[in-house]
Amino acid sequence: MNGVGAGSLPRWWRNRIPRYRLVGAKCKVCGRIHYPPREACPYCGSRDLEIVPLPRRGKLLSYTHVFSVPGDNRLSTPIILGLVDLGSAKVIAELTDVLPEELPNVKEVEAVVRKVEEQGGNGVIGYAIKFRPVLQATPGGQG
Amino acid sequence: MKGVIVTGTGAVRIGRHYEKSVRALAAEAAWKALDEAGVDGVDFVVVASSLSYLQEPQLSLASYITSSLGLGGARAIGVESGETSGLAALDVAYSLLQSEKASRVLVVGVDKLTNHPSGPTYSMLQLLHDAEAEAYYKIGHAGVAALLFRLYLDRYNVERATTAYWPALMHAHAKENPHAMLRFAITPEKVVSGMPLADPITLLDAYPLGDGAAAVVLEREDEHPKNPLARVVAVESAIGMPGPQLRDDPLDLESVRTVIQRIGGTDGVDVMEIHDSFTIYALLELEAMGLAEKGKSAELVAEGYFSKDGEGPLANPSGGLKARGHPIGATDVYKIVELANILAGTWSGVRRGGEKRALALSINAAGSEARAALLEAL
Ligand SMILES: [Zn+2]
Repeated sequence: MNGVGAGSLPRWWRNRIPRYRLVGAKCKVCGRIHYPPREACPYCGSRDLEIVPLPRRGKLLSYTHVFSVPGDNRLSTPIILGLVDLGSAKVIAELTDVLPEELPNVKEVEAVVRKVEEQGGNGVIGYAIKFRPVLQATPGGQG
Repeated sequence: MKGVIVTGTGAVRIGRHYEKSVRALAAEAAWKALDEAGVDGVDFVVVASSLSYLQEPQLSLASYITSSLGLGGARAIGVESGETSGLAALDVAYSLLQSEKASRVLVVGVDKLTNHPSGPTYSMLQLLHDAEAEAYYKIGHAGVAALLFRLYLDRYNVERATTAYWPALMHAHAKENPHAMLRFAITPEKVVSGMPLADPITLLDAYPLGDGAAAVVLEREDEHPKNPLARVVAVESAIGMPGPQLRDDPLDLESVRTVIQRIGGTDGVDVMEIHDSFTIYALLELEAMGLAEKGKSAELVAEGYFSKDGEGPLANPSGGLKARGHPIGATDVYKIVELANILAGTWSGVRRGGEKRALALSINAAGSEARAALLEAL
């Protein structure tokens, strides 16, 4: 048994838009945005939702290196996870392109599409949004 | 309202039972509970199990367990509600008895976590989280808890060392619990310097992977059961946001706040078994239950407020999920076994004596659902 999502081609296919494009759902009743899009608004229960793009940059609120990694493939250990605040919604996702010693100083991250899964009975190679540190330092900012 | 009484309890010591199947573990606990109650048949068997559907693997588990127990005349219902499966099963049993659809119900909780190596088991455990959201990534069993733990330490300026008193307290309690998996003492220093699972969580902040089964017999009070141990006063539940990233404050366990409100608060609770799969969840629960101010629970734990000689309710005399162990769907049934015996005065582990009111609390994952049960002494 491999990582979650492994082996199911239909599951990867139906999730491709929110997973590749970072789109959320905005509730037309209460105005709140959530990610990934659900059947009904988790805040007020309304079914009247519209798909909206989410900001691709956000603040890194928390992070961890997961050493107790699922599956049999230990080559990718550790997985770095982050809790990211995009302003209109918060997201838990993998972080990428960052060294462990850099993480405590990372404040701002941006979305990129990366591979998350390369196993499973059907040879599925799954991609999804990950976040990396914003590369260019803001002039006059705190980096 | 019909009174519902716990009349029999049984539990298997949690551990790596490579030689025992889910059915064998269930039988060991269930037969002990039936013997203690002094009965040989029940109307219903409610089976709580979460990981069996992936680990053993077996579907329609309740019927197979019930027939392997030799209770083929009983009706069987299976309940899967993740880490809260045991209290969900108690809810079903309680309703069956209160509605007079049953006079006697056996609740059996059972799960194995050692049929596969730890890597595949972490794949299964991460499914306790939302598979369409955060569990799309390889978060494992500890990733989300680790994100919340770091956020908590940063926001409230809590020293990592202060939080380590919780696992140390749990191990001190488990030493006295005959069915605990980890019956040895640890120091707070050892927790902090332990192997990282998902930093800042170390191995000693996390529940061990172990197999277990626990069972209780429940009977209607108006049928004058032979061996009354404790009364079940209320069973409640609440669901929360599917993931902590959807909460306004990821550290606010809103499902715990709701379930505690629904069950009537914590006033008068002498002893409780709460859900400490990871240290951070124990701390957040104590705060959501109103037993500690935000950011202050670790300090209260370190000062001994929830210990045997403390002023607060005694927390997790079993040793908690941390040290008694956490065979996912079985865990809540262990809590009822332990609390019923404390209230009946038949508990050989840590207790203060004279406990009148007991609370069991559990959450799934980071609080996607929460359940609670109140028990009182007879
Ligand atoms: Zn809404």
